[in-house]
Amino acid sequence: MHFKVRAAAKEDCKDISRMIMELAVYENMPDQVKTSHEDLERDGFSPNPFYECLIAEVPDEHKTKDGYTVVGYALYFYTYSTWKGRSVYMEDLYVMPDFRGKGIGTGLMAKVAQVGVEKQCVRLQLSVLDWNKPSLDFYIAKGAEDLTAKEGWHFLRFHGQTLDTLAKEAPKD
Amino acid sequence: MDRFKLRKAEPKDVPDILRLIKELAKYEDMEDQVILTEKDLLEDGFGDHPFYHCIVAEVPSEKQSNNGPVVIGFAMYYFTYDPWIGKLLYLEDFFVMEEYRGFGIGSEILKLLSHTAVKTRCSSMHFIVAEGNQASIEFYKRRGAADLSLEEGWRLFKIDKSSLLKMSSGPEE
Repeated sequence: MHFKVRAAAKEDCKDISRMIMELAVYENMPDQVKTSHEDLERDGFSPNPFYECLIAEVPDEHKTKDGYTVVGYALYFYTYSTWKGRSVYMEDLYVMPDFRGKGIGTGLMAKVAQVGVEKQCVRLQLSVLDWNKPSLDFYIAKGAEDLTAKEGWHFLRFHGQTLDTLAKEAPKD
Repeated sequence: MDRFKLRKAEPKDVPDILRLIKELAKYEDMEDQVILTEKDLLEDGFGDHPFYHCIVAEVPSEKQSNNGPVVIGFAMYYFTYDPWIGKLLYLEDFFVMEEYRGFGIGSEILKLLSHTAVKTRCSSMHFIVAEGNQASIEFYKRRGAADLSLEEGWRLFKIDKSSLLKMSSGPEE
């Protein structure tokens, strides 16, 4: 099946928002999605964007039963390692179920890799849930190394109330 | 330790920041992995497109004996994006020199970072810690941090430059 990978435009945010929700459902966490397509437009398409996004689209004759031609996306941003410098972090990679197995996920990820190399990034990082075997296999086949297993890295966060509590005690400006 | 000051890093702080980065890497037993130079830090933090932001902790120079350093701690962070909840503050490095620990400097830095996160509309502050680093894990957990690797099963992966190049030069679809 022929498909095209291109940089997302502001108008694609409705499709991106739709697919973000589909991915959240796949990861069993749909009630955790709080962003709207307006948030995505503001945060990705202002003078100081917080993410970049690529989308995969198919020709009209292959559109979904609901009429969508945008069938996949990769959302990423730039991070920094104090040891190695510039990195790219791929936050989301998603292809609609009916369009898997056709190289679209590989195509999206290859483009993210290309963008990263052009921006002189030394590596790409991503995270995967430990039960998500198809994704684990997909990334390992592309050369990904599990740093949680190999070096023991854990993700931690301060969220909601705990963040507010710490913030209230900050030294005054 | 009766007086210390927290402030935004400036270009002149780059040599101190690199020194502290190397000290932190040594603490994590990975000293030889730091390949970043002062020139990289200057360009990447204070150029047209900053890849990171930095706070430094300094003590008054008259308190130093033997011309010891004035900058004795730092925290490096940047903004990332979660498609479900929007902007996040990501804490990349956080270090206080050994002889200055136990005086509350680390706590104050964390509070200032939390305040920055809330002020800039971030929902959460994320970071990673090696599971062998019990002292740091306890420091964060005492202040309300949640371990997402344990609670939700997230694993961190990396893909190095050679694999990125291989991916990005793959066959066109």
